[in-house]
Formats: sequence, structure tokens, C-alpha cells
Amino acid sequence: MNIWTYTIRRLLYVIPVLLGVCLIIFVLFNLVSPDPSLMMLGKHASAHQMAEIRHELGLDRSWFLQYWDIVKSAFTFDFGRSWSTKQEITQMIKNGAMPSLTVSVPAFAASTIIALIISLFVAFYRGGKFDKSIVIACVALMSIPALAYILFGQKILAYDWGLFEISGYEHGFPAFVPFVLLPCIIWVVLSIGPDVRFYRTVMLDEIYQDYVRTARAKGLTENVILFKHVLKNAMIPIITWVVIQIPFLILGALLLESFFGIPGLGGITLNAINSADFPVVRAMTVLSAVAYIVFSVITDVLYTIVDPRVRLK
Amino acid sequence: MKTMNFVLALLLVLSLLSCTKKVDVNEKVLNLVVSAKVKGMDPISSDDRYSSNEVARVYEGLLEYHYLKRPYTLVPNLAEALPEVSSDGLTYIFKIRKGVLFHDDAAFPEGKGRELTAEDFVYSLKRLADPKLQSVGWWVLDGKIKGLNEWRKKYADLPAVDYKEEVEGLKAVDRYTLKFVLARSFPQFLYSLAMPFTFAVAQEVVDHYGKEFINHPVGTGPFVLPKFEQTNKIVYTKNPKFRAKLYPSEATDEFKELGYLQDAGKQLPLVDKVVVNILEEDQPRWLNFQKGNLDYVAIPKDNFDTAVTPSKGLAEDLAKKGIKLLISPSLDVTYTAFNHENKLFSNLKLRRAMSLAYDVNKSNELFYNSNALPAQSVIPPGIAGYMPDFKNPWRGPDLEQAKKLLAEAGYPAGKGLPEITFDCPSSTISRQMGEYLKSQMEQIGVHLKVVQNPWPDLQKKINNKTVMLYGIAWGADYPDAENFLQLLYGPNKTPGANGSNYDNPEYNKLFESAVVMQDGPERTALYEKLNRMAADQAPWIYGVHRQSFVLHHSWLRNYFSSDFDQGQAQYLNVDLEKKAEMLKKL
Repeated sequence: MNIWTYTIRRLLYVIPVLLGVCLIIFVLFNLVSPDPSLMMLGKHASAHQMAEIRHELGLDRSWFLQYWDIVKSAFTFDFGRSWSTKQEITQMIKNGAMPSLTVSVPAFAASTIIALIISLFVAFYRGGKFDKSIVIACVALMSIPALAYILFGQKILAYDWGLFEISGYEHGFPAFVPFVLLPCIIWVVLSIGPDVRFYRTVMLDEIYQDYVRTARAKGLTENVILFKHVLKNAMIPIITWVVIQIPFLILGALLLESFFGIPGLGGITLNAINSADFPVVRAMTVLSAVAYIVFSVITDVLYTIVDPRVRLK
Repeated sequence: MKTMNFVLALLLVLSLLSCTKKVDVNEKVLNLVVSAKVKGMDPISSDDRYSSNEVARVYEGLLEYHYLKRPYTLVPNLAEALPEVSSDGLTYIFKIRKGVLFHDDAAFPEGKGRELTAEDFVYSLKRLADPKLQSVGWWVLDGKIKGLNEWRKKYADLPAVDYKEEVEGLKAVDRYTLKFVLARSFPQFLYSLAMPFTFAVAQEVVDHYGKEFINHPVGTGPFVLPKFEQTNKIVYTKNPKFRAKLYPSEATDEFKELGYLQDAGKQLPLVDKVVVNILEEDQPRWLNFQKGNLDYVAIPKDNFDTAVTPSKGLAEDLAKKGIKLLISPSLDVTYTAFNHENKLFSNLKLRRAMSLAYDVNKSNELFYNSNALPAQSVIPPGIAGYMPDFKNPWRGPDLEQAKKLLAEAGYPAGKGLPEITFDCPSSTISRQMGEYLKSQMEQIGVHLKVVQNPWPDLQKKINNKTVMLYGIAWGADYPDAENFLQLLYGPNKTPGANGSNYDNPEYNKLFESAVVMQDGPERTALYEKLNRMAADQAPWIYGVHRQSFVLHHSWLRNYFSSDFDQGQAQYLNVDLEKKAEMLKKL
């Protein structure tokens, strides 16, 4: 099977998966979630007005029609308007995506590259003092909660030392750069621990394989073995780890966005959950599901490129 | 070459690092902060304080509260004068100011804002009643204006609403005269005309933008916002065509003494620009204020001890920076409500026993840094009906009396009493408050189970009457005791504002007599009677009336904290010389 047929077939799988996702969303929001009319009408709601608003929202229609609305929105990406803010959801997502991406993409790229470099070094000096210190440092970094980094960064680096903006965001390049520097650094520090530990394990798994012993027996240098053979063979788990995280980058980092006043998608999602704003939560869920599926396909295709043993079936 | 590239990249990063924004001291800019996202700029959707404050920078209403008078006093804003009121209290005639212009906008011919007329108010109020728009502010007109409920009902099931159809109680008599006829006497009606829900919008702007009207605010107000975007910052500029409106020359003594008349007689607004920053977390708000990036800030709970001394003074290090502290009482009440539809709580002695077991002073110390005022009943200080010397006989702590009453209620030492569920919101502070209440009740043998709920879930439980006991607060919509007393009025049971479902015929009758009366000693006496009844019957365990603690920089003039601060930005001023001087100290 060629790569195009495979990709198209995998993309067709998106349809039943999305139908399932829509069903789960529908069940969760119709059976579990609170009545949105209360949230929308505020503290002076009357029973008559609640009935009116339920009618306006179409919540008194049959379950099938309500489910069909969700399915339609998943395929057309027309999510309607927010119940809470009355804003158009597609526009809300467009407005929020860029600020989220300006933090998450550079931070994710930087943390991945730095973690890969560190783990290669660690693999090279495995078992030694350097390796042990890095592992201890990673565990230490992971043990500190994200909030502590944020509070420390904002108070010491931004407020006391004046190196960064305390908070805020400006749209457009390069205006946004000073505002995303500190959040990006914190993101990198937060990611580096788990990333290095994962990549180190992957590298060490490879380093004890038979082919490495063969390579050494052939007299190849340790650098060639590490960079040419081990890294290439370790690419499958690395790609899985990296690509599968990409869809979540668009959702932003909730805590970072909230503390640094970045108007990204993380804040939109949180506000929507808190105010039972079903259309927005539905949009974000559908969007995540679609992105997850698409990037799963990309991961599978990339496998065949980095490892010829993987065949498309 | 590679080394060169690296050095260049490093220099770029360092140059960006050094570009941290400097505070501009050449333009009169107000730097404000809000702690939640602003939903939009449609007056009829401005039900939360954040949105209504933003709406009131651009839009205006017939009336407003005098900026420097207490108790709160209504004065004309877009109206020329206070209305003529008929002797039966049912007809109100307003004269509209002439020559008031809407902001320039593409929706008007040649982009020039036209003159405001009485018809704009007729349209704006019908819009609030429009069944297709489902405004959260409909309650302010519901049942008040003759024929308006019928108009709303008629179009609820029709495909489109006809705004041209006349409503008997809402008419533009001529270009500048507006006449209201009320369905029943309701003196509080005037307060609704100072609320952003009833502010004037232009029909052609609404029609031009359709559903996007929410993002295109075009009013007559002191500031202009060409387009609203739901982001982290909103920037308003001074309305160059704002009518002649002057800073007040009169003030009550408290304001005079504090020098709030420095700008008396000056044309409003006093600043060129208003920048509203949206920061949801306490720390960035606090740090930005201390850096001078914000003009004022409410003191976050965690920073309270470092900012305020035990004697309620300002900490020395902040005072040296010229920062000022303002303490103002809020028109609100916190309480733990019994669900009176639950048979258990029809037992008056049980309610009183639980009220007596609760140590409100300790709770004030734990949760409000001892800065709140323990509530004796439902009406807060600052409005007619509040009795400063009144002591609620069932206000705790009095454990001996509580135990005695519990035994008399049929539950000696809590025996035979089922476990009572206390529902609260899901924040940490709510959990702590719940645990505190639980420990207080344990002292007399009443066992509580604390259940946390996301806010929508808690609302659902209250609405479905499945709660037993729950913690909540109420902030005033307008400065009249009716707004608090209605919380215990039987016909207002859930889903109305009376979430505790208290229904006492005697109270209801008295309330109905009071609300139709004009302000005066007779009505105040009735409010006081209702307030005493609300204390005696222990329908809730009363909490506190809170106070706000706000810091502001010395360069910000005319600022104070208020429950009704919509439109405040036009009265604020920035002393640029002082700002330049004080910023060096920060």
C-alpha cells in the first residue's frame, strides 16, 4: 500500500471516531452537566424565563436533533456562539490560538531540542557522575510544582530584577516577544525533567542492543554509534512522544496563560468549563479530537520514513 | 561564522530583554485592572460587574448616582432633570438632553454619529424586553411597565419582533420627551434607569452589526472603543465630541474633607485614554501595581498582612512610595441558607440553635482578616432600614443557649438529627469556610457533611431544592433595602432570588406594603420591621457585610471604591508630574 492510500484510509477512520466523540460529548453534557439556563440568566432567573431560554437554545428538542447538531459542528467547524459571552466561537478560537502558539511552539521546540541534547550526553556518559547528577536534577525539577516556578519567575526575575515583563501580551511580531520570554523559559524548565528522563531511557534501551556491540566490534567511534545509529533507531518512541504532544500545544498552558495574562485558548477553555458554556467546551473537545487523530496519522507515516521495517498495512 | 551567528542571536535576545515596557508619563492614561474576562459590550448582556463597568465607559443612561454624595443619590445623566412623577406614582415623564451625539461609526450616514432622542430609549428598553434576545437584565423591567410584558409574551412565539408596535407604558411623546407608565407603583424603578441594562443604544448600529453588535460599542459616553476584542487589554480613547459635562462642584462632607473637589467644574472626562488590563491572578495584579503599571488594586488576601497593619493602617514601605489605602464598606451580606422546603428546617428552635452555635467573630478573623462587619440581619449598613444599634438575639456564639434550644427542638445533643449536608462552591476558601461551619456545629452535636460543587452544579442543586444548607453572598443591584429583603420574599422562591425558599405570610404581606411606598420615614420603619423579623426568624445563619481594601497611587486623583462605580473612569484624573516623580521611588 502506498503512503497516500494509507493516509486517506486513516483519515476516513476519523469519521467513526468523531461520531463516537460527539456521542460522548452529547451524553456527558445532556446527562451530567448542569442546566445552562441558570448560568445564562443569573441571579434573577424565573421559571418562565428558563423555559424560554431552553427553547431558544434548542434544549427542548429531541435528543437525536441535539446530537446531530454536535455532529454537524464537528464536520463544518461551525460551532455557533458562546452561551456565556455570545461571541462567535470560531472567532474566539482564532483570536486565542495565536497567543497560545506563540508561547507553546517555541517553548516546546526549545525544550525538545535541549532535552534531546542532554539525553544524548547522558547516554554517552551513562552510569557516571554526570549521568547521576542529571537524573537527580531532573527529579528535583519535576518535584517542584509549576506554580512555584511561575510565582518565583514573576517575583524575582520580572519584578525584582526587571528582566522580563511581569505579565501582559501584545499582538503581532515582534511585539509579543518580551511578553512570552518568561513563560517560555518556565515551560522549558517544567518540561525538561520528564523529557530528559524519557529520552534517556529510550537511548539506553537502544545502547544495549546487539547492533551497538557489532558496531563497536567493527571499530566505529562512540560518536558515530550514538548519533548515526542509536539516535536513528530511537526515533520511533521519540516521534511518538513529540508528535502526539503537538495537538495539545494549541490548547495552550492554562496556568501560564492565566498568570501571565496571555489571552490564549487555555483561559477560554477554563472559563467555558466554569460557566457550563457547552458550545465552547464542545468546540474545544472536537478540535482536540480532530487534531489528535490527524497527528496520530502523521506519526504513523513518519514511522515508515525513519524505520523501513515499519510497513503500511 | 557559526560563532558570529550565535553572538548575534544572543544580542537580539538581550536587546529584547531590555525592552521591558516603560510607563508613559506624557499622556493622561488611566491604567486599570479587572480580574475576569469581559464578555462583551452589549448593555443588555452586562449582568456581571466586569462587563457592566466596561459598557458604562461607552454607553450612558437617563440617570446616574451623584459621584460625590452619600447616601447614594440619583441625578440626571442623559435626562435633563429628574422626572416629573404623577401623584399616584405610576407615570414618569423625562426630558432628554438636547444635542447629545452618538459616537461616530460606519453605521450612521457618512459615519457621523447622530443626535440621541427619546425614541432611542424606547428602542433600548424594548430591546431589553425582546424575547428573542433573552437578556439577563429583563428582571429590572419584568412586570414593571404597563403593556411591556404583554408585548414580550406576544412575540415569544412569533418569528420576528416588531419594535414599531406601541407599548402603552413606554412612549416617546416627542423628540425629547419620554413617558413611562408603570403597571404598579414601584419607586425602585428609577434605580433601574441608572443600570447599564437600560443604557441607550442606536437602532441603526444594532441593525448594521447584527449579532456582532456585542463587539461594536457605539454610545454617547465619555470614551470611545472602535472594536471590542475578547483579549487581555481594552484601550479606550476620550470621546472628542462628548457633551458639556462637568466634574461636580458639590459633595458631602466626607468627600470635601478628603479633597475630592480639586477638579470641580472641569470638563469630563479628565484623562485621554483608559487602558483596562485583564489579569485573573492575584500575584501579577499585585506586582504590576507595585511597579506603577496599574493605578489602583484591591489588596489580594495573601498580601493583606504585608500591606495593612493590625491597626488598619498602611504598611510603612508602601506609604513611603506615596501609596494610599482606602477602606470602604460593601453593600452586601454573606450567609448560610437553610432550605426551608426541607421539613427539618421548619423547626425554628433548630435554626436558632445552629445560628447561636456559629462564632461569626472567629470566622471574620479567619476569612476576612477581621475587616468585615458581622451581620445582624439581612440589610447592610449604608441604606435605609439598617439599624446600627440592633443586635440579633440569635447571633452566636452562645453555646449554652444553643444546646438548650437544640434540646427543646427535639434533638438533645444532636440525638435523632440526621447528617446535614452543607453545599458550597469549589474554591479553597469555600472549603475552608465549610470546614469551619462544620467544626462550629460539632460543638453542639450537629453533624455536617461538606460538599463542594462547581458553581453551575451548586446553582442546579439550589434550583432543584435538593440542598439542605448552603453558603452564598448577595451584592446590591441598587442601594435600596428592597433588593435585600426580597431575598426572603415567598413568591421569589427558586428559581427566583429567594434560594432558601423562606415563605412567611406575615413577612410577605409586610414586604408587599413596603415596596410600593415612596422613600420616607414610614417606609424606613417598615424596612426596619422586616429586618428585625428576618433576624428573629433565623431563616439564615448570618455571616458578614464585607469591606473592600484598595490601594491607589498618589498620582491618581478622585478615586474611591464604590459598589456602583459604573462610569467612574470619567471622573478620575492623573497627576503627570507626581507620577513622574513617584515612579522613581517604585
